[in-house]
Amino acid sequence: MEHHFLDQYSDRDSLIHRLDPRVKAITFFSLVLFVILTPAASFSAFGFYGALLIILIAFSKVPPIFVVRRSLVIIPFVVIVGLFMPFIKGGRSLGNYSLGAVDFSVTYEGVMLFWNIFIKAMLSCISLTVLTSTTRFVDLLKGFETMHLPKLLIMILSFMYRYIYVFIGELMSMRIAKESRSAGGGKRFHLKAIANMVGVFFIRAYERGERVYLAMCSRGFDGTVRTLNRLKLNARDIYFSFSVIALLITIRCFAK
Amino acid sequence: MTNIESKIVEIRKLTYAYPDGTMALDGIDLDIFEGENVGLVGPNGAGKSTLLLHLNGILRTDSAVSIFGLTPEGSNLPLIRSMVGIVFQDPDDQLFMPTSFDDVAFGPLSMGLGADEVRARVEKALLDVSMSDASDRIAHHMSVGEKRRVSIASVLSMNPRLLILDEPSANLDPDGRRSLIELLKGMNVTKIIAGHDLELVNELCQRVIRIDAGKIVSDTLINA
Ligand SMILES: Nc1ncnc2c1ncn2[C@@H]1O[C@H](COP(=O)(O)OP(=O)(O)O)[C@@H](O)[C@H]1O
Ligand SMILES: [Mg+2]
Repeated sequence: MEHHFLDQYSDRDSLIHRLDPRVKAITFFSLVLFVILTPAASFSAFGFYGALLIILIAFSKVPPIFVVRRSLVIIPFVVIVGLFMPFIKGGRSLGNYSLGAVDFSVTYEGVMLFWNIFIKAMLSCISLTVLTSTTRFVDLLKGFETMHLPKLLIMILSFMYRYIYVFIGELMSMRIAKESRSAGGGKRFHLKAIANMVGVFFIRAYERGERVYLAMCSRGFDGTVRTLNRLKLNARDIYFSFSVIALLITIRCFAK
Repeated sequence: MTNIESKIVEIRKLTYAYPDGTMALDGIDLDIFEGENVGLVGPNGAGKSTLLLHLNGILRTDSAVSIFGLTPEGSNLPLIRSMVGIVFQDPDDQLFMPTSFDDVAFGPLSMGLGADEVRARVEKALLDVSMSDASDRIAHHMSVGEKRRVSIASVLSMNPRLLILDEPSANLDPDGRRSLIELLKGMNVTKIIAGHDLELVNELCQRVIRIDAGKIVSDTLINA
């Protein structure tokens, strides 16, 4: 079965795909860092960051529409945090509105604060989307591992990635089995069946864990998961990260 | 073939009950010799898998079992587990690492082998199961047959002297099953094959042990 829920497009081939995952991670995280540390009023700087991202997306051959759609998931959070800012933040007034008995005044500081949250969230989210859709999740984990992120965390993430589809598959087949047997029946009956299914699912997951542990022990597991580092940096990786970071510094220093 | 030197498994009066009281094995006596291909057949719940788990010390009882002359406990376990390779029934249990390479490298790395040796073994094991191009592939992108092959590679890389397969043909399509039989035929290592695929057992084994309700009911030589 082909599943690409977490890292869709990551198994394609492009200049960006072929880069070392560590280099990619560092580069895109730097991009996020630069975006966050740029003052909200540097409108042109954000324009240049955006342009840089567009170029990277073009090289990556990932459909831009996909990147944009993925990044939009952040919008609800931005709206919740930022939408009321123009109204409640004090400062220079840009206009007063009244809606029945309630009076609003929009302030310049408030609008800037909203813009600040909005543009930074969007650009950061796009950067990370480009990273995850050009790097297989397993390679990203490998990269993090050689960069000495906590081993336990990597292990949990890698098990999660390995088994999430197995679990989804089990859940699907349980649902199909339930639906093909339950013609009619009241709401109460269905709720009971679903509760039952959830219970069975947890027991199965638990048993899976037990069997996987046995399989690990059978191959000499002694408490540490060992892997070989097969990543190698080459000249192209270094050129890439240096040029992107140099561009970021230029934008940050010169664009106003 | 049947001299004492080459006896690799010796089981005497092995009785085992799971913690919940299920009597899974009831007085098993069994010897297995180097070079044998043994089929272990019997209905579901007969105790086949339980018996196999005693062969590398995952399950234990008091000194009823001896593997390569060693009791499977304590400091003997790492050695026994490197000599006895078990391929479990469900490849999704066997393959728990993100990529095939990591899975096949897991055993050798646990044995404490060096990086170059591990790389060589992984390459050889994947080649042996005709999955050389799969080292970077992810288990959930593979077919059942491919997963089965990588599962086998994941124990071959430890160079086991006893290869144990639990229901190797489960969930395979006819083509996958056929090529698995050919693959196993070509392997020159002592094998125990559990399952109820009698045809497969007939084709690969010279000795068939039938168990039912935790007891050995027959032990016959075939194809002799
Ligand atoms: N983890 C367990 N806990 C309790 N009982 C078990 C467990 N595993 C297997 N059994 C029981 O032990 C008996 C033998 O099971 P098993 O060795 O899996 O049989 P087979 O592999 O021949 O189908 C069965 O009755 C089974 O229900
Ligand atoms: Mg079984």
